[in-house]
Amino acid sequence: MTQQIIVNSRTIDILAVLMLITTIILIGTSRLRTCIWAYACRSFMLTLASGLIACFSGIHHIYITTGISLALKVIVIPGFLFYIVKKNNIKKEVGSYINYTLALILACGIILIAYYSTQNIIQFENTFMRHCLPIALSITLLGFFIMISRKQAITQIIGLITMEDGMFFAALSTSYGMPLIVELGLFFDILVSVIIMGIYVYRIKESFDDLDTGLLKELRE
Amino acid sequence: MIILLLLITPIITAIACVFTKKHGISKYISIAGSFIALVYNIYLNYNIYTYKTLQGFNNFFYVDALTILTTQIVTIVAFAAALYSAGYMEAELHDCRISEKKLQWYYFLMHMFIFTMLLVCVINNLGVMWVAIEGTTLATTFLVGFYNKKQHQEAAWKYIILCTVGITLALFGVILTYHSAKGVLGEIGYALNWSDLRNVADKFEPHLMKLAFLFILVGYGTKAGLAPMHTWLPDAHSQAPSPISALFSGVLINCSMYGIIRYHILTSKCVGSDYSCTLLMIFGLISVIVSIPFILVQKDYKRLLAFSSVEHIGFIALGIGFGGMYSVYGAELHTFNHAVTKSLLFFCAGNLFLKYKTTEMENIRGVIKTLPVTGTILAIGVFAITGTPPFNIFVSEFLVLADGFHSGNLFTIVFTCVLIVCITLIFVGFIYNMYRMIFGTPAGDVPKGETSKFTIAAMLFLLFFVLIISFYVPPLLREVLRNIYDIVRNA
Repeated sequence: MTQQIIVNSRTIDILAVLMLITTIILIGTSRLRTCIWAYACRSFMLTLASGLIACFSGIHHIYITTGISLALKVIVIPGFLFYIVKKNNIKKEVGSYINYTLALILACGIILIAYYSTQNIIQFENTFMRHCLPIALSITLLGFFIMISRKQAITQIIGLITMEDGMFFAALSTSYGMPLIVELGLFFDILVSVIIMGIYVYRIKESFDDLDTGLLKELRE
Repeated sequence: MIILLLLITPIITAIACVFTKKHGISKYISIAGSFIALVYNIYLNYNIYTYKTLQGFNNFFYVDALTILTTQIVTIVAFAAALYSAGYMEAELHDCRISEKKLQWYYFLMHMFIFTMLLVCVINNLGVMWVAIEGTTLATTFLVGFYNKKQHQEAAWKYIILCTVGITLALFGVILTYHSAKGVLGEIGYALNWSDLRNVADKFEPHLMKLAFLFILVGYGTKAGLAPMHTWLPDAHSQAPSPISALFSGVLINCSMYGIIRYHILTSKCVGSDYSCTLLMIFGLISVIVSIPFILVQKDYKRLLAFSSVEHIGFIALGIGFGGMYSVYGAELHTFNHAVTKSLLFFCAGNLFLKYKTTEMENIRGVIKTLPVTGTILAIGVFAITGTPPFNIFVSEFLVLADGFHSGNLFTIVFTCVLIVCITLIFVGFIYNMYRMIFGTPAGDVPKGETSKFTIAAMLFLLFFVLIISFYVPPLLREVLRNIYDIVRNA
């Protein structure tokens, strides 16, 4: 590395741990609104971490991505999700394929796996990546876990953007973010995919009169 | 410049299709647009023939033989699909299944889909390639759910969720590659350019590259339809309109495979080719095996074709994994052959659907009497896709299998033996299911005769490629395939 930047890694570590905790809250709760709030909180912490890294490293394009991230992940996407919930008049909570206690225990297992699988990589690193990469991978895998364990269509969308957050954090902590053009493309893709999924949530609600994705089983062998 | 023209043509076509005042002419715009793209691509092909590689716009675009093969497939199948859509969607319009406004949006989305696929191929930056592959998912979700009934919505939901998750996992692979490239190339913003990365790939951190390839294979493999991540594929392929199914099966899965091959080259250079080759072989064989039971007991002809795509993408992965001269050559030839043959079969399936209004094979008998042209082409296509001599798929499958035996590696030989058994079983399933449909006595109430001249023209266009490759590989294509071997091995 050409730039020997002393990053205040403790602050970022704390933010990383807080992000992990909000993700675990996401797994432990069944209420849809709490889930969206938890997502918005985590996005805010991610933006904060991104802003801090921009300050410490002095790389200008991280400021741009921080700004977009603040607008998109903290305001637009949670707002859009609240709008979908309100518009489709979703009151009923749809459950999970496994109960919440078991889900939390499995979540701990996933975090252990994330630490274990990145061990080979992080032992050579001495930047703050050492703590952040396993946490980023944990968040990604936990997002994946949310997607496969929940039945509710909107919770699945939240799982997906959780994965995307984890990736964003991984890119930030390993290599100070991706090149700007890639980041911009990434934000565009996230926004468009969330909007398309929102449209399909509406359509599925119209035809199936419910958002339980367990009902989607017409196409079977 | 030519690359930019190739990319802009589908965008202009898409916009023109949706903003034209007269509904009737959007199909002609669509055909003309895809024809122009095809011509540009032939010109690009000749350039590559002379210069081997082309770079443009500050290294933003990078074109070599591997790219050319994929863009060739995209433009050929896209032209055929545009031609076919003109007939097929007109008939759907006539049956009041869709409205005129919706038809224009159909053309818009189809050409945006073609644009994103071309972008995947010509882009140099691996990060932007990721964005473009995700873009193909976004452009096609509404096409999968085009008819907007319950089953189409289900297919579309499954499609966008599974593919986006897969692609997100692939992003982790991209990030790890970027990280290791940054360690070698330093802080330049172009650290993700494939043309730079391949020169320094041997200096990357091996642990990182191994993990990165695994994520890329699972992520892009989801989009390519490699088992066990293929579950979206039969649903999406069977629910989309037939021309779109043809584009899905023929080219979309190849575009993702193209992404995997790019990383395969980097990983081979970094940690030796054994690691990524073995992974490709294992995933490939699983895909071939998984598709067998579904092909044997299938009731729906479009799903039958979709599972056959899982088999063939597995076969291509195996061919790349074997890694010998003839198997890489054969696998890439197979990519081309599979694209034209499978698209041809999906066009036949579309004609059957227009005629019989059902996708159940039980209800269809005597196609060759009711639809003489479609029936004949279907009969040829079924033999071709199952790898019967002398057709084109036989040529490419034979090359790969022969090289598998020739390698002398016990592991590879066992894989090849299993593969031969699988291909035989699939042959049986295919012939049994399809030939009951093609022959027999037709039910009385279906009128004779083909639906549209456009659909026949599209099918004859693809049949031309099927037949010509069966007997003769044109020198231009042969040169491209040889260069691909050099790119993959020289790594």
